[in-house]
Amino acid sequence: MKSNGYAGRILRVDLTDERIWTESLPREWIRDFIGGDGFAARVLYEEVGHDVDSLSPQNRLIVATGPVTGTLWPMSGRTVFVSKAAQTGIWGESHVGGFMGPELKYAGYDMLVVSGKAESPVVISILDDDADLLPADNLWGMTTAEVTAAIKKSRRDPDVQVAAVGPAGERLVRFASVIVNNARAAGRTGMGAVLGSKKVKAIAVRGHGAVEVARHDEFVQLATEAHMRVRSNPQAQQMHRWGTWILTAVKQSIGELPTYNHRTGVFDGWESLSGDHIRPRYTVSDRACFGCSLGCKKMNYVPDGPFAGTLEEGPEYEGLMAFGSSLGIADFATTLKANQICNRTGMDAISAGTTLSFAFEAFEQGLIDEKTTGGLRLQWGDGSAAVQLLEMIARREGLGDVLAEGTRRAAQRIGKGTEKLAIHVKGLEVSGQDGRTHRSIALSHATGARGADHLRSLVTVDQLGYREVAAKRWGADRLPEIIDPYTEKYKAAAVVETENTYCIRDTLIVCWYSVAWPPIFWIEDFARVLPLVTGIEQLGSVKELVRIAERQVTLKRLFNAREGIRREDDRLPDRFTKEPMPDGPGKGQLVNLDPMLDDYYRHRGWDVSTGLPTPETLRRLSLDWTARFA
Amino acid sequence: MPSQLSVDYTKCTGCRICELACSAKNEGKFQPALARLKIVKYDDLGVDIPNVCGPCEEAPCVDVCPVYAMVRDPVSKMTYVNQDKCILCKSCVGVCVNGVIVLDTVRMRILKCDHCGGDPECAKACPTGAIRYASVGRIGLMGRHGKVTAYLREIRRVVTGH
Ligand code: SF4
Ligand code: SF4
Ligand code: SF4
Repeated sequence: MKSNGYAGRILRVDLTDERIWTESLPREWIRDFIGGDGFAARVLYEEVGHDVDSLSPQNRLIVATGPVTGTLWPMSGRTVFVSKAAQTGIWGESHVGGFMGPELKYAGYDMLVVSGKAESPVVISILDDDADLLPADNLWGMTTAEVTAAIKKSRRDPDVQVAAVGPAGERLVRFASVIVNNARAAGRTGMGAVLGSKKVKAIAVRGHGAVEVARHDEFVQLATEAHMRVRSNPQAQQMHRWGTWILTAVKQSIGELPTYNHRTGVFDGWESLSGDHIRPRYTVSDRACFGCSLGCKKMNYVPDGPFAGTLEEGPEYEGLMAFGSSLGIADFATTLKANQICNRTGMDAISAGTTLSFAFEAFEQGLIDEKTTGGLRLQWGDGSAAVQLLEMIARREGLGDVLAEGTRRAAQRIGKGTEKLAIHVKGLEVSGQDGRTHRSIALSHATGARGADHLRSLVTVDQLGYREVAAKRWGADRLPEIIDPYTEKYKAAAVVETENTYCIRDTLIVCWYSVAWPPIFWIEDFARVLPLVTGIEQLGSVKELVRIAERQVTLKRLFNAREGIRREDDRLPDRFTKEPMPDGPGKGQLVNLDPMLDDYYRHRGWDVSTGLPTPETLRRLSLDWTARFA
Repeated sequence: MPSQLSVDYTKCTGCRICELACSAKNEGKFQPALARLKIVKYDDLGVDIPNVCGPCEEAPCVDVCPVYAMVRDPVSKMTYVNQDKCILCKSCVGVCVNGVIVLDTVRMRILKCDHCGGDPECAKACPTGAIRYASVGRIGLMGRHGKVTAYLREIRRVVTGH
């Protein structure tokens, strides 16, 4: 019998009781949520209530896949990690590329749900039908690279896929990440800390089974055409050559390259962080995730200078921003080294970099001094100080111990008005965008379920002025405002539509770059492929997909609402709403958030004064059942 | 001139689309474990090496087969398994230097690349041109360890400053 895109089984691991079992995947979940984020939201909402602390055994860590995971569909190697976030205490999710998700599907599971807490360190080992907890005392303390190598060696199988936490996850650094394939990071919201709190050093997966789709031949043909679209897309070709570093020049030119802890959006040293500079000097090979014909990953090597000999994949644009412009560092080698430290110790590059720049700015303003920093002089552009402080965070040593709590908690601990330097939303550090020069991202950052988020909705159409695309999608009558990055008008409509599309993307699950920049696929394409995979005709309707997306966005909102999140929490740091952009193309710009929020809630069917979903909306989206767990 | 599969390690990104395309075509499902070629990945070094079947100068799979089920085309030097003769002793699986002869443990049969009858799916699907299908003359003497060498050369280039 064909499996129609799903393995049909959920693997459950309870660490406290050392119990492992499987459950069958409820069919109605497919119809209501498709996969990925959706399944995980369903489980997390039901099983992790308000009384559960993120780092307690009662929290769940979910690894989920989607119906196209493991198939030929372009960029289908993604996996999502979901949990109540260690960093924010609200909805947490983190998507990662590489090869983990397909392997889990080949082993015969759509998702893995981990609960409880092991007495001493373990590896969750999955080999087709055999799932086991293996003692891992000898692996505790290892870097992610070491533990990955050790597991592959002891299994005598280079193809076993390892998702590992590093020393930072073990020490419960709030923004600890999970690293798969040595350098691909499920970075955000602290999934590594959740695994660390459960004493899980790694999840090792190997599968030999198959993923079958409902209409194989038609699917293969559509997937082949889709690959050709990726291969012939000009932006994709650029991205293959330059990786995401191509964004550095774009962002500088529109005045949105976060610099000096998001104080400004232009950076004099940007050229050292651009693709033109990096590729000929450092890049040694091009790589890709599973099933990806774009291939944005780059292996880099530093030939000389203080970080000579560093060989590492990455960093992405976000890493360049976080360890480069944001700290005033105009040196690629430093960002590569910092990125390597993050990968090996298992920390989120965005949060780590932003936390460093928070400390640097506090030092500049005299709010912390050499006594606090253990003798380090934190001056903009000082790469060696940045790297030392980064290592202190991973070890939770001195000031590093405070910063390991993330900017929000660190500012509370330090006091002295440092709160205004903590650039976060709901506790999650702001990524490499700036709402002042790009209003739709301001709204995305403010409303994202996991905090300041650039991946659940990032409208690029307005940012880059794609006039025709905007006219087609949102109507010519909304021009020019809808593509003007400096107005609040119509932005909610654009954000909602993009968020819905990305939501379906995150249920399939496919890579961000297939829908965002470059915009190769959109919701219509997902509607074409889903019936071929699942055999469910209903999923071929864009209207139905939009409804599923709305259901999911609202369910995540309900999860957060239970934790007390309301309209007043959908805020931005004062830097974006009260300090006009000081220079560059967006000079003088500020975010006026409230009108966009009003619009956004109306679009979503949420109450404008509270930001809570209305009873009618819950009925319309068949979410009445959530009341049972409220 | 018979055609062959040739590999340029320096172009391979490790995406495994070739494995997917192979299993999709030959098995009607997505199951890399049953693909007739294999991408060997070294994530720590950033190197991905496609292992395709033949043509080997020596053909250990032919030499080892006790019942002459594995045969070799004298012109193309490609080897083929004759399922009717095969007694499933699995010797060829163990002896293949590329590890591309696979035992399907569910249907109990030996899986072995046959160039898709002259129109190999893997070469068509590869987005980077790392796997090509061309006549022997056109391929030339691309070294088996080309990518590793090129990679080390690349590192040396950046180390010594061009
Ligand atoms: S498994 Fe079959 S083909 Fe392979 S060596 Fe044995 S008899 Fe020959
Ligand atoms: S030629 Fe055909 S059978 Fe051989 S590896 Fe390529 S796709 Fe597979
Ligand atoms: S499809 Fe091409 S680039 Fe991708 S893994 Fe196979 S040989 Fe390498």
